[in-house]
Amino acid sequence: MEVTFKVYRKEPGTQTQPGRSDYKIELGKDATVLDGLLKIRDELDGTLAFRASCMRGYCGDCTIRANGKSCFACTTRVSSLTQKSPEITVDPVRNMPVIKDLVSDWDTFLWNKIDRIHPWLEPPGTAANGETIIPDSVMADIRKAMSCYYCGLCDEGCTVLPVDFGFMGPAALTKAYRFVFDPRDTATRERFKYIEESKGLWDCVHCFEASEHCPRGIAPTERIMALRDKAFELGIQNPRAARHHYSFADSIKKSGVLDEGKLAVESEGLTNIRGLVRLLPTAARALRRGKAPIPYIHHKSPGAPQIRRIIEKAEEKHR
Amino acid sequence: MKYAFYPGCVSRGGCPELYTAATKVAARLGIELDELRDVACNGAGVLPKYISDPINARTLAKAERLGETLMTICSTCTGVLRAANLRLKEDPEYREQINRDYLAEEGLQYRGTIEVKHLLWVLFEDYGIDRLKAQIRRPLTGLKVSPFYGCFMRRPPEVVTPAKEDAGRKNYLENLIDAVGAELTDFSGKGKCCGFPILTSNPDNSHAMTAKHTGEAKQKGADCMVTPCPLCHLSLDGQQAEAAKARGTNIDLPILHLPQFVGLALGFSPAELDFKRHMVSTKEVENQVSMLA
Ligand code: SF4
Ligand code: SF4
Ligand code: SF4
Repeated sequence: MEVTFKVYRKEPGTQTQPGRSDYKIELGKDATVLDGLLKIRDELDGTLAFRASCMRGYCGDCTIRANGKSCFACTTRVSSLTQKSPEITVDPVRNMPVIKDLVSDWDTFLWNKIDRIHPWLEPPGTAANGETIIPDSVMADIRKAMSCYYCGLCDEGCTVLPVDFGFMGPAALTKAYRFVFDPRDTATRERFKYIEESKGLWDCVHCFEASEHCPRGIAPTERIMALRDKAFELGIQNPRAARHHYSFADSIKKSGVLDEGKLAVESEGLTNIRGLVRLLPTAARALRRGKAPIPYIHHKSPGAPQIRRIIEKAEEKHR
Repeated sequence: MKYAFYPGCVSRGGCPELYTAATKVAARLGIELDELRDVACNGAGVLPKYISDPINARTLAKAERLGETLMTICSTCTGVLRAANLRLKEDPEYREQINRDYLAEEGLQYRGTIEVKHLLWVLFEDYGIDRLKAQIRRPLTGLKVSPFYGCFMRRPPEVVTPAKEDAGRKNYLENLIDAVGAELTDFSGKGKCCGFPILTSNPDNSHAMTAKHTGEAKQKGADCMVTPCPLCHLSLDGQQAEAAKARGTNIDLPILHLPQFVGLALGFSPAELDFKRHMVSTKEVENQVSMLA
């Protein structure tokens, strides 16, 4: 089949605006996007830069966007992209600075972020026989997280990164999960300190986009939620998140339901005058509209005593 | 048609207009609501599962006693309750442990037989969209509407669309806009996050997300946006002015709750649907609607 690849080009160190180059090529019907890129580089344009390593869907090195959708170049068939038109677009993944063409800067994108979570195990002193035995059921879950390709597709799909590139992102947080839930790790509190810093764990909006984008079924969003539950259990160290979460729990414990007005105020912190003043314009407008944004008598669930009993029992079990 | 009705904290607190509209629309359509009054907030993804699963098991057990499907009017309630329900249904041992440890003392038990559905799904899957169409008294001709789902109505798939037949759930809002005679203004952010969950932890990022979606819909020509999630509403409506200011623009896009939007088509007046409680002025929409009536 004859296909036109419209490939994103960027030349580092020049003033030339990035744009797309068109390459018309002949490919077999089973060809992948990577086959096409290799053919272009070998036969038409030796200056085209892209990454690929294992070429069989194992290493996560060749992530790109084909027709706007992120994927591995080596496992995506061209025929799946040309149903509507014999032209396909090939771009670098989003949320990542581009060095040249399809080659992006993985340091700022991923490695520096993974670095922030201290990605190594802090084991207890060596056992007498040199072995630490862990039940396979526990290891199976950790192993799943460890099977991460570092392909970055979860970060690519993340909702927060486009508005804040400094966000730690799902891949690094998944890496943190791998250590936090490893029974051998002795640095859990330390590690939470790093991942709870601003632009970390509490900046995720739990939108489940990351899970949807992971080709490995690692479910990064679920890992992030598990980290949050663990932080809640151990005592949240980020002051803002702590106020928000414990005030939320408190409200439900007291009345069975959530009092959002009180929550907003308490999340800011009762002594944080500047934060509270920031709430005022919205609060005044809301009040005029009958929205009750400030502490008010919230109706109480008649089931409140039972709800409180349940919450206290659950907290007791996880202390 | 009768449902165990779980209105959620927001419709009883920050967005009282949602409760008003939902109950009026249900009554008009002949959907009977058995409101669960003594149940808890579901935890909204803020409480850890070890706390929220037991309190949600209690809520589900209450619905099970009534023998009715549990109906919500909030994307977040739907997602969190469904995820808890899935864990409890899939793992009888876990369910029994929660029954024993938490529910038995109150004489309750959850057997795992209850289904959780958002009003939007009820309209399409139980009520029937043709039946709804037959009740329309004011087709919303010419009103340009953008849909906004709320994450929990889209993802994760095992919770939202576990069966093949559920795939349509990703298009119900668009189909609804069409069914009531309004015009769809599609935009890329409709299935994305509104920014609400990080409103306290990172207001700047949260506002950036709110401004991005409302700004895009407005720019595409929408007269208003409709959402089945009151938490999205708190951001998209309640925070829109702040979010726009941070961007140095005005957006002024009215955000309607799902039942308000359906209510308009059923012939309710904006006043009956409590439009006055919105933070972004709904004047333009009201004018347009008044010309249709
Ligand atoms: S769940 Fe969190 S980390 Fe994952 S894509 Fe959404 S915001 Fe990003
Ligand atoms: S978690 Fe999944 S999507 Fe993210 S880097 Fe690892 S393999 Fe890729
Ligand atoms: S869009 Fe925001 S508020 Fe709405 S369900 Fe998703 S995370 Fe929650």
